[in-house]
Amino acid sequence: MRSIGLRSLAAISTLLFVWLVTGTAWAAKRPKYGGTLRVELHVASVSLDPREWKVGSVAAAENEKLATLIYDRLVTLDDYGRFQPALATEWSHDAAVRNWQFKLRSGVKFSDGSALTPVDVANALQSLFPPGLQIIPGENNLTIRAAHPLPDLLEQLASGRYFVFRKNADGTFRGTGSFYLGESVPAQPSEVNPAALKPGHLKFRANEEAWAGRPFVDAVEVTLGAPGLRQILDLQVGRADLIEIAPDLVRKARQDNLLVWSSAPNTLLALRFDNSQAAAADDRLREAVDLALDRDTMASVLLQREAQPATALLPQWLTGYAFLLGSPMNLNRAKEIRASLPASEAGIAEPLRLRVDASGDLMKLLGERVAVNARQANLAVQVTPHGTAAAATNSNPAAAGLHLIAWHYDSLSGYAELGALVSQLHLQDGSETVPTAAEPERLYAEERRLLDQRQLLPLIVLPDYVGIGPSVRDWSPAPWGEWRLGDVWLEFGETTASGAASGSSRTSTKDRIPGVRP
Amino acid sequence: MPLTHVLSSPQNAVWLIPQSPFSRKCCSFTAIFLMFIFLAIRAVAAEASSLEDAARLLADRVVSIPNLHGPLRLEFTEGGGLAASPGKAWLGSFRKELEARHFDVTEDSSAPVLRIAVTATPTQLILAVSARSVDHDEVRFVSLPRALIRPANLPVAPLRIERQLVFESPELILDASSLWNGSEGGIELLAYRKGELTALQLDAAGAVKQSIPLTAAALHPSRDPHGELYARGNEVDVFLPGKVCTFIWAPGSEVKCHSARPVWRGTAFVTPSCDPGGWKIVSDGRDWTAPETLQVVPDGAAREGSAAIPSEFPGPVLNVNGEQNPASALVVTRNLRSGNYEVYRITLACGN
Repeated sequence: MRSIGLRSLAAISTLLFVWLVTGTAWAAKRPKYGGTLRVELHVASVSLDPREWKVGSVAAAENEKLATLIYDRLVTLDDYGRFQPALATEWSHDAAVRNWQFKLRSGVKFSDGSALTPVDVANALQSLFPPGLQIIPGENNLTIRAAHPLPDLLEQLASGRYFVFRKNADGTFRGTGSFYLGESVPAQPSEVNPAALKPGHLKFRANEEAWAGRPFVDAVEVTLGAPGLRQILDLQVGRADLIEIAPDLVRKARQDNLLVWSSAPNTLLALRFDNSQAAAADDRLREAVDLALDRDTMASVLLQREAQPATALLPQWLTGYAFLLGSPMNLNRAKEIRASLPASEAGIAEPLRLRVDASGDLMKLLGERVAVNARQANLAVQVTPHGTAAAATNSNPAAAGLHLIAWHYDSLSGYAELGALVSQLHLQDGSETVPTAAEPERLYAEERRLLDQRQLLPLIVLPDYVGIGPSVRDWSPAPWGEWRLGDVWLEFGETTASGAASGSSRTSTKDRIPGVRP
Repeated sequence: MPLTHVLSSPQNAVWLIPQSPFSRKCCSFTAIFLMFIFLAIRAVAAEASSLEDAARLLADRVVSIPNLHGPLRLEFTEGGGLAASPGKAWLGSFRKELEARHFDVTEDSSAPVLRIAVTATPTQLILAVSARSVDHDEVRFVSLPRALIRPANLPVAPLRIERQLVFESPELILDASSLWNGSEGGIELLAYRKGELTALQLDAAGAVKQSIPLTAAALHPSRDPHGELYARGNEVDVFLPGKVCTFIWAPGSEVKCHSARPVWRGTAFVTPSCDPGGWKIVSDGRDWTAPETLQVVPDGAAREGSAAIPSEFPGPVLNVNGEQNPASALVVTRNLRSGNYEVYRITLACGN
C-alpha cells in the first residue's frame, strides 16, 4: 500500500516536473504580451494630422513614424515586394489603370469602438489626394477614379501620408491601428531654467479591438525633444528601448556596443539653387559648383561612412538606376568654367550666399564643406547657418542663391517622389511630361533631365539609425524605414540593473505580464 | 514658353500639355513615338519571370543598341535589396547570353565598359545597363515584379537530416500534420486562406483536396495566432486558444466548437529506421526576424554524448509536429527570403 502511494507520488511529481519544464519552454518560445515600449525622438513636437504634413520634410517623416501606431492604410507592402491587404482586402483596376476598386475589410472599428465606414475611408483619402482624383464610397467598397492612369496607386497608398483617419468634433484624431493616443503632455518650460523646455511625452495605449490583433506591448511611451547624446545614455542605462541616433553619433553608439539598426538611405541632403540671387541663375556657375563638390569626402570623412555620396535625386533602392547618374568631381573643369564667368559672380565682393535650411551641427558642417569645395574652384560661398538671426528673421537684405536642404523620401512610387520634389522645391521648367506609365525608362529620362538643369545638386543620402535596447524583440521595420511597432514585444528578463533601479516608467515584470497569452 | 507644369498635389503630379499649337503637334508626335517605344519595352519586360529570363531579355536589349560594338568589359554594380547577391553566377549567365548573340565580351581593362546593376526596389527587380555608343550613353532596363522572383533553392541540409519542402503559402500556416492513412502521402494543414482560418487536406502532390473554413471558431484576432490539428482517421480536432473544434473530412461537413482548455503539443521526436532510440527535435522560435537552426538531439541519458544534428531553416521555426508518423516530423517555418510560410518534412537518414 505504502509502495503504491510512493509510486503515485513519484508519478505525480514527474508529471508536474514535465508540465513545468514544457510549460516554461513554451513560454519562452512565443512572443510575450505586456510592457511599455519606451521611445525617444529628436523632434520637440509632432502632428498626427496627415493633412498638415509638409511632404518631403524630416518633420513629416517623424510624424509618419508615430502615425503608423494609430492609423492603418488601405494596403501595405511587405519586404518581398508583395502588396498585402490592410483595410482593403481585395483590389482591382481597369485596363487603363484609371479606375480602381477596393473591397473594404468588414467589422473594422476605430479605437473608440465606432465602426469604420467606406465614407470614413473616402473622406480621409480625399483630403490627402488631389481634387482631380475622385474617391467614391460604396456599400462595402471604394472606387478611386482619375483622369490619368494611376499605375503606381498601390505604391502611393502603401506609403507616405495616405493613412485612414477620422477627426472628431473635439479635434482629436482616431484610427483603426494597433494603438491609440492615451496621453499627450506637450513640452513645457523647465522650472529650473524657464528658457529651456522640458521634453513632451506621448503615451499610446494598445487597441484591444485592433482588427490585426492586439499589439504585444501594452503601451508605447514617446519622449519628444530628447537630445542625441541623452538618448544614447538612456538606452545604455535602460531608460529607453528605442532611440533615434544621429548619423554623427552612430560611430559612438557602435563603440558603446549598442545595437544599431539602419534603414535604406532615405534622407537626401542637397543644394538647391535659388534665382533670388542673380548669379544662381547662371547655368555655368551651377555646373562649376557641381563639378567642385567632393561628395565622397563628405560621406566618408564628414559622416564617417555612415552616409553615401548621392549622384541622383532618387535613391538606388527606389529606382535601380541611380548608379548611372551624376557627374564625377572634376576640379580642373570647374576652375575652367569659373574662369569663363564674370568675376563678380561668386566672387569675393559678391559671394554666392548659401543658407542652411535644416537644423543640426551636421548640416552646418556640410555647408562649410561645400564652401571649402567651392573655394578650391575659386568660387566664393558664404554660409548662413540655420537658426541664425540673418536666416531666421531674414534681416539679411541679400537673398541666398543656394540652400542646403534635407529631403526625406516619402513615397514608394518613384514617380510620386520625383513629382513631390519638383513641386515642393519649385523645380518646374515647363517641360511636357505625361506620366502615364511606370517604366523605369520614363523615370530615368525625367530625372536625367532634372539633373542636367542642375537646379538641385544631390550631395549625400543618409539612412535612419535606430538604437535598440536589449529587451526589444521582433523589431522588423520596413527596409525603407517605416516602423511596425505592433509586432514588437519585450523580453521581460532583459532589463538592465541600472534601468530597473532608475525609477523610470518601465512597469515591473509582475505588472507587465497580464497572462494574456492567446 | 510659359510654365505649364501644374501639380495639383505634392504627391501626385498632373502634367498639362502646352497650349502652343506647334508644341502640341510636336509633342503629340513625340508622345505617340515614345508610347510606341515604351509599349514595346513593356511587352519585352513583361515576359521575364526569373533572373535568367531577365538576363536573356537584357542581352537582347544590349545587342540592339545602335552602333554599339564589342568587345566590352562588364562592370557589375551591387544594386542592393536582394537577400543574396546574384553576383558572379548571374553575370556569367548574362555574359553567355551576350556571347550567344555574337557580342564580344572581354576582361581587358582598357576596353569600353558595359555597366550593369541588379537592384531589388521595394516592388520591382530592376536590371539596368549603360554603355557608351559613339558620343552618348545608352541606357537599357529590364524590370519585373519582385514578387515573381523565387529565392534560390536553399542548400539541402547536410548529412543525416533529410528535408523536403512539401507545401508553401504566402498566408500564415499554423500547423501541419501527416495524413493518418498508413502511407507518407498527403498532409493536413491549419492555415489562413484569404484571411480566414481553414483546415486543408492536401494530396501527395500538394494539391488541395478539401478545405473546411473554421468560421465557427469565431476567433479573436491575434498577432500570435496559435492552433493545432489532431487527426484520427477522418475525424479532426482543431485545438485553438480556449476552444476545441471538431469536424470530419466530408463535403459540407459541419464544424462544431466548444470551450475547452487545450493541452498543447509537447516536444516532437523522430526515430530513424536504423536507431530504435528517439531523437528530440529542438527549436527556439524566439526571434521571428532571423533564420533558425533546428537541432535533432538524441533523447535519453545514455545518449548524451551523441552530437546534435543541425539543419538550418530559411526562417524561424513556428511549429514542429512529429505525432502522426514516428519516422518523420513536419516543420512549419517562415522563409525570410520569400516571406512565404513553408512546411518541410524532415526525416533522419541513416548513414551519410
